[in-house]
Amino acid sequence: MIEFDKYKLDNGLTVILHYDATTPMAVVNTLYDVGARDENEDKTGFAHLFEHLMFGGSVNVEDFDKELQKAGGESNAFTSNDLTNYYEIIPANNIETALWLESDRMLSLAFTEKSLEVQRNVVIEEFKQRYLNQPYGDVWLELRPLAYEKHPYKWATIGKDIAHIENAVMQDVKDFFKKYYCPANAILCISGNFDSEKIEGLIEKYYGSIPGGIKPARLLPFEPEQKNFRERIIDRDVPADAFYYAFKMSERKNIGYYLGDFLSDAIGKDQSSLLNISLKKEQGLVSEINAFITGSHDHGLFLITGKLSEGIDFKTLDEALWEKLNEIKKIGFSERKLNSLKNKLSTAKAFQEQGLLNRSISLSLFELLGDANGINEEIEIYNQIENKDILHFAQSTLLKENCSLLKINKSK
Amino acid sequence: MNRRNAPKTRKIGAISFIAPEILQLNNQAKLLWMADVPNETARIDLYFDAGLRQGKNAVVSITSSMLLSGTKEIGSTEIHSKLDDLGAFFDIGLSHEGVMVSLYALKKNMLEAFKILFESIQNANFPEQEFNEIQAEKIQNFKINMTRVSVLAQRSFQQHIYHKSPYAELSEEIDLETTRRSDLINFHHEHYKKGVFKIAIVGALQEQQIAAIKALVTPHCITNELSFHTAFCNKAGSFHIEKKDAVQTAIRIGRTLFNKKHDDFLDISILSTVLGDYFGSRLMKNIREDKGYTYGIGTAIAETGGSGYFLIGSEVGSEHLKATLIEIKKEMNLLQSEKISQEELQLVKNHLLGQLLKMSDGPYAMMDLFLSVESYQMTSDFYNAYIQRIHDVNPEVLMEIAQKYLNWDEMSVISAG
Repeated sequence: MIEFDKYKLDNGLTVILHYDATTPMAVVNTLYDVGARDENEDKTGFAHLFEHLMFGGSVNVEDFDKELQKAGGESNAFTSNDLTNYYEIIPANNIETALWLESDRMLSLAFTEKSLEVQRNVVIEEFKQRYLNQPYGDVWLELRPLAYEKHPYKWATIGKDIAHIENAVMQDVKDFFKKYYCPANAILCISGNFDSEKIEGLIEKYYGSIPGGIKPARLLPFEPEQKNFRERIIDRDVPADAFYYAFKMSERKNIGYYLGDFLSDAIGKDQSSLLNISLKKEQGLVSEINAFITGSHDHGLFLITGKLSEGIDFKTLDEALWEKLNEIKKIGFSERKLNSLKNKLSTAKAFQEQGLLNRSISLSLFELLGDANGINEEIEIYNQIENKDILHFAQSTLLKENCSLLKINKSK
Repeated sequence: MNRRNAPKTRKIGAISFIAPEILQLNNQAKLLWMADVPNETARIDLYFDAGLRQGKNAVVSITSSMLLSGTKEIGSTEIHSKLDDLGAFFDIGLSHEGVMVSLYALKKNMLEAFKILFESIQNANFPEQEFNEIQAEKIQNFKINMTRVSVLAQRSFQQHIYHKSPYAELSEEIDLETTRRSDLINFHHEHYKKGVFKIAIVGALQEQQIAAIKALVTPHCITNELSFHTAFCNKAGSFHIEKKDAVQTAIRIGRTLFNKKHDDFLDISILSTVLGDYFGSRLMKNIREDKGYTYGIGTAIAETGGSGYFLIGSEVGSEHLKATLIEIKKEMNLLQSEKISQEELQLVKNHLLGQLLKMSDGPYAMMDLFLSVESYQMTSDFYNAYIQRIHDVNPEVLMEIAQKYLNWDEMSVISAG
């Protein structure tokens, strides 16, 4: 059980406090309810570029990192299609420094041309390092527009085109900040060994006077139900053929998210998963096979990905895979298998919750989904899962007409 | 409140480093136990003297991947299913110095899970079919890895840093192909049957559970002292590996140094931090935050059982390779010719103390800190000395250390792209 308190400042900032006396550290986590899905189709990659600019100085502080490091702290951030998250990890007795820095960049950025120019280049190098200069690196750039026709999930967080980053101008940056970076659109979670008597006063001191702004309404194009199987084949200079089956599934708040997560573990998480045993070990068709979900807040994807063994063709794999999926849709899993998956989830959760930063980020994510206390409820949701639920999920999700398939042909 | 003024910062107080209880398994091998864990989790790290330095890379590596692939009595799927039933999971790490198998479970399941794991490893018989499968997988992974500039640079770096020593060996596709099942069986017999040199347990297990683990492991411990290669000397100079059409070029620059037993270890660690081991470091400020040539650049001091080395690593836009190397050289020269300012040094000191505080947060972190000194027959005193050194070190010392160890001409400079 993770204990926490929650309240709102007058300006609309949601605050979560999670006290832990056993650590010498504190974490200040700030989540903004904006991600790549909120971007304009001709200015993609912007939420992520903006995340970089948040380290380029704020209205009263020239050098964010320097001030934080002086206090023994460190910081990082990540952007997804759904959200943007920033955190500082700092010795607990210097927590005020993190509040000062993080609140100042919520108040306003410095908006220097130099920072924009440099971070455009850094992000372009990140684009190359992660997506262009890696074997199979551009898979998500290809798979998203195949699986999504209308919803902005059709582009990756990094952006769909380097040119969008290259062309970003200062006015775009300022508009983006004004619209999304305000207390009403943020969740602040403070955890660790802070002074419980003083923390609320400190938060009020640094955040209370920031104008609240208006939480932007999110009106995203609705992704129409997929009715036909989609397939795309691309050639790449890679040593092995690879496949990516992507099935549409429910949004994050739906029970389907948990069922999809559970089923993906059962068929493709590790060596004892069903597809690993049947397609890899027994039939030798693949050198690796995995299943996982994207966990997106709007309609997500259930993926089965892998690489073909030398000498095996896509057709053979496809037939064997559908045979297995159809078998799952008929019989599901044994009681033993369901229990062992539940046990593994419990162990994994217990380990994840050791980390103060993990707890801090999770509380914020659950709050974004509607209630921070979701962190304390998810294990029970998994534990309630029965074979009939899995059958139902599999029967309604693992359908050919609900599938987008990307194949990568190796160079001969 | 004036937002331009930073809040007062406070010094990081003393850190009390907690050492695990240490039990001798025989005259060589040890069991370390960190019992004070305020939750249900437990971890066991099992160390075998079966690292890359003990044989041909391909054989050593395939053997470590197959430790849980079956015994005479029970197949790999059943081993994994049994561990799954207990909600346990594991990972296997391989280095030149050894193989570490880590097992994670809730404490109520740990003893049972450990028995399954340990007996499976000890009785591994490397079934033919599993072997063929893993061999094919390794070959495919090898081919994929060889398309990465970071891997090409790292391999070349390894050859240059461990020049003319057994550590310089690299495995090629042909080595993976020609490895035979019998090679694994022999290697396993030599290096696992009596190969345990350390076991580290974190978790509030019961005394009799620890005793049971001890009894299980002791017959399989090493009886001779561990020995490590110590005489390394890197091959200096610039070396480029061409990869057509790469949009980024990987850079690895470094030289042979030493491990934490050496008197200059703390000072070079602090100097390495100044140069490239935190977000505000000189290389990050220059190459990333000023020039935008890269997504990231960093330095590290890596240690081996008997030695160590200094490393700079980055991936830069291919058109920026030359300019990046010039800037790196400039930054190294600057550390040799100009004393670091008190302000910058103070910042680095605070940063290092903050990192150390974070690295000592909780029983798992404390165990990991202890393990990284115990390998060198040192104790937690090392960290107290480190804190003292962070307080004491001054700009003059760091300049001397830079002059001693950061000479561009002594570096192996590798690029791939």
